[in-house]
Amino acid sequence: MATWTKNDASVAPYVDPTPLPPSIPSVEEVGTTSAPLKSAAFFIGAYCKDFNEDFMLCKAENRNPEHCLKEGRKVTRCATDIITKLRENCLAEFDKHWQCLENNNQQYYMCRKPERALNKCVFEKLGLVKAIPGSPQGQPQIHEKTSPIFGAMQK
Amino acid sequence: MPVPWEALIPFGLVTAMFGVTGTAFNIARRVSNDGKPPRYGLDEWDEMMMERDQRITGSLRGQKSDPTPPENFATNSTWYTKRSI
Repeated sequence: MATWTKNDASVAPYVDPTPLPPSIPSVEEVGTTSAPLKSAAFFIGAYCKDFNEDFMLCKAENRNPEHCLKEGRKVTRCATDIITKLRENCLAEFDKHWQCLENNNQQYYMCRKPERALNKCVFEKLGLVKAIPGSPQGQPQIHEKTSPIFGAMQK
Repeated sequence: MPVPWEALIPFGLVTAMFGVTGTAFNIARRVSNDGKPPRYGLDEWDEMMMERDQRITGSLRGQKSDPTPPENFATNSTWYTKRSI
C-alpha cells in the first residue's frame, strides 16, 4: 500500500521473515531525523538532482518496488554522501540552523539568520546554492529578500 | 488624597494567578516535548516524519544529524506487527 497509516502498539517483536536476497546489495538507510533533513533539503536537491530525477522517472514508468531498487540505492547513497559532506564542512552552522527549526515548528521563515550563515558556508566550501524550483523569475528568492512581509516579528 | 492601593490588590492577584498557571502549562508542554516548544498544525507528512524520528531516536521530538542509522532501523517499523482487527 502506498498510503501511510498511524502505527498502533506492536503486538510482537518484529523479525523480518523474508529478508532481501544477498544478490541485492544492501545500502544503509539515511539515519538523519526530520529537522536536519529539512535544513539540508535544498542542498540534497542541488547535489543529487540527477539521481533523484532518475528515480522519479523510473517510478513514473512502474510503481512496483522491485523495478526501481537500483535507482533507489543510488538516491540513498547520494543523500548520505551530501549529509556527511555537510557535517564535515559546516557542522556548526548546520547544527544551529536545524536546532532553530526544531524550536520554531520546523518553519523556514522563522530561521532566516542561521539559514543565511549556512548558505554562505555551504556555497564557499561545497559550491551548492539553494534555489527554490518554481519561484517567480524576476524577483529575489524568498530566502534572499531583505524585508519580507512574513517574518518572525508581526508587523 | 492618597493612592487607593487596596483597590489594586485584586489586579495583582489576578495577574499573579494567570502568570502562575500560564507558566505551569508552558512548562508542562515543554516537558512533554523534550524541552522544546510544541509542534502545531501537523499534517500526515509531519506525523509520519515524527514517527520516523521516534524509530531512530526513541522520542517523537528527538533529533540527530548523523546519517548512520541505529542497528534496528531497517526492521523496527511496526507496520507488520500492528493489530489490524
